[in-house]
Amino acid sequence: MAELALALPGQASAPSRSAWILPPLLILAALFFFPLALIARQALGGAEGGALSLNHFATVLTSKMFVDGLRNTLVIALSATAGCLVLGFVLSVFIAFTPFPGSSILARLIDTFIALPTFLVALSFTFIYGSAGMLNESLMEIFHLDLPPVDFLYSQWGVILSEITVYTPFVMRPLLASFSLIEPAQLEVASSLGARPLRIVSRIILPAALPALVAGGSLCLLLTVNEFGIVLFIGAKDVITLPLLIYDKAIQQFDYTTACVIAVVNVGLSLALYSLYRFVVAYFGGRRAGLV
Amino acid sequence: MRAELADVAPAMATPAQRERAGVDAASSGIRFDDVTVAYNDVVVLDSLSLTVKPGEIVALIGPSGSGKTTALRAVAGFVRPLRGTISIGTRDVTNVAPHARNIGMVVQNYALFPHMRAEENVAFGLRARGAPADVIRERVPECLRMVGMASYAKRFPRELSGGQQQRVAIARALAIRPQVLLLDEPLSALDAQIRRSMLDELARLHRDLPSLTVLYVTHDQTEALTLADHIGIMRDGKLVAFGDAQSLYRYPPNRFSAEFLGRANLLPVREVATTTAGMARVRFGADALIARNHHGLPDGGECLLCVRPHDLRLSPCDSIGNVLGGVVKSVQWQGDMQNVELDVAGHALRLTCAPMHAPPAPGAPLAIHFSASEATLIPEHTLRG
Amino acid sequence: MLVWSRSGRATTATIALVLFGVLYGLPIAVIALASFAGQWNSVLPSKPTLEHYVNALHGDSLENLHVSVVTGFVASLVALVSGTWAALALRVQPRTARRVLDAVFFIPSAVPSVSVGLGLLVAFSQPPVLLNGTTMIVVIAHFVLISAFTYGNVSAGLARLPVDFEQVAESLGARPFYRLRRVTLPLLTPYLIAAFSLSFALSMGELGATVMVYPPGWVTMPVGIFALSDRGAIFDAAALTMVLAITTAIVLIGLARVPTRASVR
Repeated sequence: MAELALALPGQASAPSRSAWILPPLLILAALFFFPLALIARQALGGAEGGALSLNHFATVLTSKMFVDGLRNTLVIALSATAGCLVLGFVLSVFIAFTPFPGSSILARLIDTFIALPTFLVALSFTFIYGSAGMLNESLMEIFHLDLPPVDFLYSQWGVILSEITVYTPFVMRPLLASFSLIEPAQLEVASSLGARPLRIVSRIILPAALPALVAGGSLCLLLTVNEFGIVLFIGAKDVITLPLLIYDKAIQQFDYTTACVIAVVNVGLSLALYSLYRFVVAYFGGRRAGLV
Repeated sequence: MRAELADVAPAMATPAQRERAGVDAASSGIRFDDVTVAYNDVVVLDSLSLTVKPGEIVALIGPSGSGKTTALRAVAGFVRPLRGTISIGTRDVTNVAPHARNIGMVVQNYALFPHMRAEENVAFGLRARGAPADVIRERVPECLRMVGMASYAKRFPRELSGGQQQRVAIARALAIRPQVLLLDEPLSALDAQIRRSMLDELARLHRDLPSLTVLYVTHDQTEALTLADHIGIMRDGKLVAFGDAQSLYRYPPNRFSAEFLGRANLLPVREVATTTAGMARVRFGADALIARNHHGLPDGGECLLCVRPHDLRLSPCDSIGNVLGGVVKSVQWQGDMQNVELDVAGHALRLTCAPMHAPPAPGAPLAIHFSASEATLIPEHTLRG
Repeated sequence: MLVWSRSGRATTATIALVLFGVLYGLPIAVIALASFAGQWNSVLPSKPTLEHYVNALHGDSLENLHVSVVTGFVASLVALVSGTWAALALRVQPRTARRVLDAVFFIPSAVPSVSVGLGLLVAFSQPPVLLNGTTMIVVIAHFVLISAFTYGNVSAGLARLPVDFEQVAESLGARPFYRLRRVTLPLLTPYLIAAFSLSFALSMGELGATVMVYPPGWVTMPVGIFALSDRGAIFDAAALTMVLAITTAIVLIGLARVPTRASVR
């Protein structure tokens, strides 16, 4: 009944019960928000005890290293997200609408894949697509070549391909959920009216999947901007992203202030993408299923 | 801590322990006093005043969104009134936490705790109150027996049918010997056949526990008419009628009640003229009719004449009978009865009777009769349906 | 269903299986193969050996396993307690506060892990709290990164819990803590286990924050794997990756088998 839905558990609660939120909130504040604030302070030069200034920002943000890092991050994130959307859509359509033996198991395995460490894919790609990997060895054997013909792994394409593999399941989850809401009768009627499969996909399935695609895509964008393990494992010299740059500055060069400046930009970018994601999910009325 | 206390309690509990556990409370009534409830500035219960006497069953009926469930949940303490007071017995419970109200509650989808066996479910309230072990040992089988579930004590809810789950839910509510029992659409989730037998069961239960005060919320008039001593009819957050089941059915105080509780034929009539002992003559078009003027409507006014479909007959019934002429519009056979729809001077009238061998054909003229004592005048101006 | 003809169905099934195989089956198969490889000079590895597993279960690598499992358990447990606490406490907040706080508890999942690590380094390398170089700072980093996921899982479970159970319990006389202990938490158990499983898996694979903060004596498996592959011991890295995946799987499967009586109809 509508009447039931209106009354929430906290309806008859005293204000003092609100205070129960404080312990977890304080823990989060001390271990997460406080360190983030200190990053910002150090980036603004507060750590040396002097007045806050934007000098460090001016120096770092105009440096070639930062501009390249930002460009790489964005190019990789956008390309990987686009790839995830296309691949995720295709694979989801296969699983949901052209059932084949094992398709339901695959749908469940997707959840498992999400929990695997991201660098696993990068590591395996070195065995498959590396200069001495399976693909190159096969091609060299078949065509009697002396040099490995496939050489994309140690460029941004290697990173992009790895990220597409790793993050496609994050697009498939909301997609499969939204596909399960499409009535099979709708597709049957369409095909009985003579619509071909591709037309059904473009006219019925794609529009229904749009909210899930937008939500999954913005989540992918967020995760790929933040990705670190894959970039580190691929280890290509000229593919430095913002997270890798932070690691480089702080751990290899002990330049904490520069690292903090870059971290402020990176965190800002991530929070903007996170807001976009929350907005998209709220706008389309879905639950936050994708992020958890 | 409380559970441990109960475990080491001596074989017989002292009266003080029983008192503290609140397991022997006497029955008492419920009183709503000008209770208003609003969610986000939308009033869902509007100045409800209502008394349920000790040992009585009161049913609140009404369409969904009428505020009946809100009224019940206000007694339970899950919604806080904006205004007014709610008392159980002599105690004002308006600001008392739900767990301290000593009520039993049964909800539509049973809400049996899925991780507890039937007996653990029944024992839950007693344990929560720290009842002594001997009380629990005695009370749980007793309550399960009362609802005919003694042999299912060890089952988990998922191993029980819907009807069985509802019985356990009732036993669970009764185990704490509540001052009042709140039933929120308890039979709605059951299918028709089980619902009928559960209805008989509830009636029997109340004969066995005559001191139990029950507030029963339902949208089903049959449940209300079968069980309730008094019925309250709700609409748009307001109580629009309240009375004992019989008189509310026979003399509905307004159009909405007449149509919500049973089926009603309502004819607009005028020129009320009181005759003898609560009767009045009225005019319906050119016809003169006689009906009960139970609500004492003033002479000369306009009102509605209410007569139930099964009180309309095809042959004269008594000396002061009313007669109306009409045309048959449709005839429906429904197994154990016949439905005839008529047009009487532009008004649709429905008549139900035992199946006929030669039912009238659509289009045929037909005279219908009804006794003056089975027709009631109800005021026209209040609550147009 | 989109494709009706027998040949069409066979074609789509083949395409789908090949796609899944190349994208998801192959990487895992290749890691497994490499972990047994004595040598890999042609298309397939040769001279199969268990040597890499012996290495993975000895010395530093075994220590890595121990460190990862301990870190994962402790961080997930703390995250479970604080996430459950937060989700429960959030229910009694006023509507607006609830919306804001919900977003706040999710934010750690949106921030890059490297920055979380950097923040901890900056914050706890100076008085009053000195944690740099301790085991504690690794556990804290993991806790921060997985806390949003435990919180999300538990609050999703709470949202799915019918309100009737708790209200009936309350009407029967159960005080808030009795109700929490006997009704709410038992009914939440499946979600708590799922939350713990996910946190544990995420912690086992965490790299970004760990490389920022780990002290020499507390090296997790992902860091160990990176170190191995960085110095060219890629077969050992593959074997350690397999150990990581298998350990995680064993823990997750074990947790999935924990009997819970709280299957809500």
